Amino acid sequence: MRPILLSGHERALTQVKYTRDGDIIFSVSKDHIVCAWYSANGERLGTYHGHQGALWTVDIDPTTTLLASGGADNTIRLWDVKTGKLLKTWDFGSSIKRVEFSPDGTQLLGVTEKRVGHVSSIVVYDIKQDVEAEQSSEHALRIVVDESKATVAGFSYGAKYIIAGHEDGSVSQFDAKTGELLDTFQAHEPDFSVTDLQWSPDRTYFITASKDKTAKLISASDLALLKTYVTDTPLNSAALTPVKDFVILGGGQAAMDVTTTSARQGKFEARIFHKIFEEEIGRVRGHFGPLNYVAVSPDGKSYCSGGEDGYVRVHHFDRPYFDFLFEVERERANI
Amino acid sequence: QDLLRKNKASRAIIEQRRRLLDEWLAWREQVEEELHDEVAAGLPDIAEVVDDGKNEVIE
Repeated sequence: MRPILLSGHERALTQVKYTRDGDIIFSVSKDHIVCAWYSANGERLGTYHGHQGALWTVDIDPTTTLLASGGADNTIRLWDVKTGKLLKTWDFGSSIKRVEFSPDGTQLLGVTEKRVGHVSSIVVYDIKQDVEAEQSSEHALRIVVDESKATVAGFSYGAKYIIAGHEDGSVSQFDAKTGELLDTFQAHEPDFSVTDLQWSPDRTYFITASKDKTAKLISASDLALLKTYVTDTPLNSAALTPVKDFVILGGGQAAMDVTTTSARQGKFEARIFHKIFEEEIGRVRGHFGPLNYVAVSPDGKSYCSGGEDGYVRVHHFDRPYFDFLFEVERERANI
Repeated sequence: QDLLRKNKASRAIIEQRRRLLDEWLAWREQVEEELHDEVAAGLPDIAEVVDDGKNEVIE
């Protein structure tokens, strides 16, 4: 599993995302720039310039037509993937922590930061999947998050629910049409922020990562806790692997939080756990700083991690990864 | 290079894993059935979108 190093960003990576067919990786960084890379060979194929601050988040629509990005310049921007043309800018009073398209690409949500004079909110826009179309300036829905601020959010199967993760370690379930709060669940330790929320392929369940050093697998329809993955380091990201029943976790102690910083003490490794058995089965080293995000290709053939060290590392899984089965799984497969 | 750890396990652990795997598969079956019913009742189907993406790759 030799990694491909994507070097081009000048500051810490904040999010990395694959396109639906897995051939392109988009990355965002504190250096204000969105980069696009071929996942197969790591060649950079383009950049998107225009943001005036650190970027926190990026997403691509399911047809790889539109790209959304958001960050510290208090804007969500929509881009033409192919030409790099800026199509739309939505302005807010505070920074954008997360953007995500709905499963069919017809809606885009954004999570806005809480700040003096500005509440934490989740905004939803109707999106026309056409680079020539005029996009609406008005949001279709705005959810004000009164309790603990939202840090991450996404759409469930059928865009039925919006699920959000919060600063106080809870997750909440909203009706994606009306914005009504339906349910909340204290998934993680109180006062340990939910740092990531990623979906299963059919979006019936999701995984959350938290600074409380755990990741949790949770059902979208009733917020039932399915699985818990326990590590020894604060987590920034958690991803589910298609094909194999694994989860990949990334994190690490930030440099300012450890007295003497070394790669060993920082625990800058991606950890692979078995999704069903909750057991750690492997680690992948390489980064010189915390892993801020991990993403898995929708075809399950590779994953990539974005680090505080400014690099993206792409790992194409090899044969032993796909062959690995616990005895009981092999039994099942042979029945 | 990632090292997948040797999969040694006592009988008790194997029994436990078997139980977890059965539970998971039963839960998935139930969820997939419910999802199928909701799609039949008019909820947008993600599987269709996912398949569309795959077809595009082939052409």
